[in-house]
Amino acid sequence: MIEAIQFASFSEFLNMGGYAFNVWAVYGLFVIFIAANLLAPRIRRKSIMKEQYRRIVLSEESDTRKSD
Amino acid sequence: MWLWFSKLGSPKWFYELSEKWLPWLIGAMVIFLTIGVVWALVYLPPDYQQGYTSRILVVHVAVAGTSLAFFPLMAVAGTITLVWKMKLADMVAKNAAPLGAWFSFITLATGSIWGSASWGTWWEWSDSRLVSMLFQFFLLLGVISLRSALDNSETAAKACALLSIVGCINVVVIKYSVEWWNTLHQPSSPINLDSGSANGPEFWVATAIMIIAVYLFFTVSLILSTRNEILQREKRSQWVSDIVKKQHAQAGS
Repeated sequence: MIEAIQFASFSEFLNMGGYAFNVWAVYGLFVIFIAANLLAPRIRRKSIMKEQYRRIVLSEESDTRKSD
Repeated sequence: MWLWFSKLGSPKWFYELSEKWLPWLIGAMVIFLTIGVVWALVYLPPDYQQGYTSRILVVHVAVAGTSLAFFPLMAVAGTITLVWKMKLADMVAKNAAPLGAWFSFITLATGSIWGSASWGTWWEWSDSRLVSMLFQFFLLLGVISLRSALDNSETAAKACALLSIVGCINVVVIKYSVEWWNTLHQPSSPINLDSGSANGPEFWVATAIMIIAVYLFFTVSLILSTRNEILQREKRSQWVSDIVKKQHAQAGS
């Protein structure tokens, strides 16, 4: 496993054989792409839950008022 | 058969089944993504011609390959919507479009960044592969805006279904563009068993792992947004109210 690592040092790893910009830009984009498309539905879910809970509470309140 | 089919189309059934599947899918996605990225960035040896830019291709090939699945998926879902009026199929189709646009955009961006290092150019208008992929990106934006432009959701579903079916033609063009017109973009390399070559086992095994990882990510993201869609469209039903109340109680606020 260790012998198969392609780099001798961390700075060599960062340098990517002179293609640091291209390689890291692609992997950076890839991470943003994945994180955005997993987090966005999570955030959306929370706001849907909040909004619908408010709606349920309001409709239940109006129901009890009617029965009073 | 019909019972199974009508069950499959039930949003409630899908919501409950996906609840059970999600932890496994997310777990598998994390494992494959971690192995794929570490393998590509740490272990993949430099290519004798491309150097370390071959590491870009691991991501590019996986995302590009998966991006071709969107129109066929939306076309199948659209056909089900048109023929059987299944609500769930349209929810999947609706949420697939923006994700597909993301996939197409990332394919173009990663390809461009690779091209600037290997071909010496970011973009080439005369290349059929590049232009047909850009066209797919615009087609998906077209599907999204078509849906938001039409007020009647049933008409919107039908129109998007038709556009998705037509859009499949472009997928065939993207797939065979490198063979029909031999311009800048290289055709895909066949699997090569010789270690050390550009398309040798080190490269394609890493790519295969990344393809599985990206497909898992695509599935997870689409399930998450489809579940949101279900919660919204079925908000009047009792079972959704129960979920909302339960969620609220668990959040403890």
